[in-house]
Amino acid sequence: MSAALTLWNKHLTKLIARKEEAFGTLFQPILWIVLFGTGMAAVIGAESPDAKNAYITFMVPGIIALTAMTGAIEGGLTLLFERLQGIIKEYLVSPIPRPSILFGNALSTVSKSLAQASIILGVGLLMGAQFIGLDPLGWLGGLVLIIALGLGFAGIGLAVASKASSPGGYHMLIFMLTLPLLFLSNALYPIVSLPTWMQIGARVNPVSYGVDGLRQTLFDSGSSLAGGEFLPLWLCFVVVSVFAALGMILAYSSFKKSVK
Amino acid sequence: MANKQQNSIAIVAEKLVKKYGEGVLAVDGIDLSIRANTIYALLGPNGAGKTTTVNMLTTLFEPTGGSASVLGFDVVRQANDVRRNIGVTFQEMVLDEELTGRQVLDYHGRLYKLETAERKKKTEELLAIIELQEAADRMVKTYSGGMKRRLELVRGLMTEPKVLFLDEPTSGLDPQNRASIWQYIRSLREKGDLTLLLTTHYMEEAEELADIVGIIDHGRLVVEGTPRELIDKMGADTIRLAGTGDSDRYLKELQALPFVQSSVDTGGLIQIGVDSGNHRLPEVVTLATKNNFKIEDISVAKPSLGDVFLKYTGRQLRDK
Repeated sequence: MSAALTLWNKHLTKLIARKEEAFGTLFQPILWIVLFGTGMAAVIGAESPDAKNAYITFMVPGIIALTAMTGAIEGGLTLLFERLQGIIKEYLVSPIPRPSILFGNALSTVSKSLAQASIILGVGLLMGAQFIGLDPLGWLGGLVLIIALGLGFAGIGLAVASKASSPGGYHMLIFMLTLPLLFLSNALYPIVSLPTWMQIGARVNPVSYGVDGLRQTLFDSGSSLAGGEFLPLWLCFVVVSVFAALGMILAYSSFKKSVK
Repeated sequence: MANKQQNSIAIVAEKLVKKYGEGVLAVDGIDLSIRANTIYALLGPNGAGKTTTVNMLTTLFEPTGGSASVLGFDVVRQANDVRRNIGVTFQEMVLDEELTGRQVLDYHGRLYKLETAERKKKTEELLAIIELQEAADRMVKTYSGGMKRRLELVRGLMTEPKVLFLDEPTSGLDPQNRASIWQYIRSLREKGDLTLLLTTHYMEEAEELADIVGIIDHGRLVVEGTPRELIDKMGADTIRLAGTGDSDRYLKELQALPFVQSSVDTGGLIQIGVDSGNHRLPEVVTLATKNNFKIEDISVAKPSLGDVFLKYTGRQLRDK
């Protein structure tokens, strides 16, 4: 654990030192929610203030999932560069447990996601999203879901980064894996408005459960645009936890092969 | 205690083999037995298997066959015990360029769970040794090649290892930086309680630094000994001379001398192997005068490690 914390500390120190990237990390989610949110609200014809607020409320958890995904892609890139530049050898000849190399990276990815999520929630609030107010259990549930979603995505990023032999190859593969996870879900548009085949995809996609879980823990469920029922909350927690665990297992098995 | 240390063996390899994929034998059965508190140089051309050997000894790769141990710990079964006790400098630059020099050392210490106070103390001490205090809070990416290499070398010492591995420590450095790193490596030896295994493809480096040199070629250890032993085994001195006159007749007369063991005339440059260069020089010169051969240049040379290498591998080291 101490090794994972050391690597977490190192990654964040480096991030802060890279001012443009640190700024981008915090600013990018604002762009998403302001531009994409306003645009999409207009597209779906949510013209009245109430309808617009309802859509923003609907979309904020989706944007959180989206930034968790892009954050994980960057996290994977960190590992990839450490591999390609050989920095990982410094870790491998040191007496630290192998999994802590991955875990440290996942920790920094999730930390970034949490920082981004707070910004998104803040901006969402300004734009009219309707939160639950001060329900500690709801916020705790939301926190768990964001962390688990982040770990799952981070696992995918790390698994691909353990295999890829170049940044180009990494990006190719990671987008093929993560784009469907995001767009074949209820993150950005209500499930009911999708064609049937996409609805099926969205229902087997763990991201749908993460996002729907967030909608139920953090927001006024009254403003649901999901169309029909929410996915059951307990199932959301189960699916997202399994997603997190599978992500990390996948990452570790891929990583272990790469350092043989 | 100290005596016991000196006589013990720090690094052992038995029939160590590393095979990559189908049939590429990078290391083909290497045996090593390296005494504690010595500097051992693995000398060989690029691709000879030096780095692969080091990677197995430092637990980075598992051997395909054979076994190895460092300080008595098996490199596979007790890898973590090995890791706790070694320092490693890799062949290629392995530095986080977006950290400062001080941070590089500090994070390294943290990975080995050094206490904060100890890390601080050690960091300052090492920065002073490599004269990097002024640049210590600058990003590593602003450093020159020599500065980076020095930083890497001392990073391996943060944790006070018993065994230090240096893979091509001066590869790609200019002569000035190389000299300063040699000096630094020599100073390490004086501190005691440190066994050093370095790989190199520079003859002079092995000759300058090593107590024992092992020549490695095609994944095998072909010969091993102190630099002196290896060179002395070559036996005779070489006299090289150039001049004008009837070189054919002169060479014939030279060959008739009892102490001339070999001779070769490569277009004006005559090279003879003799039992003792300094003693035989006057006779060689007298004979030239007798034959009206005018010597313009003459030298006596000891065989070098390069000649040793040539003898055992049948080729020159590939680089200059």
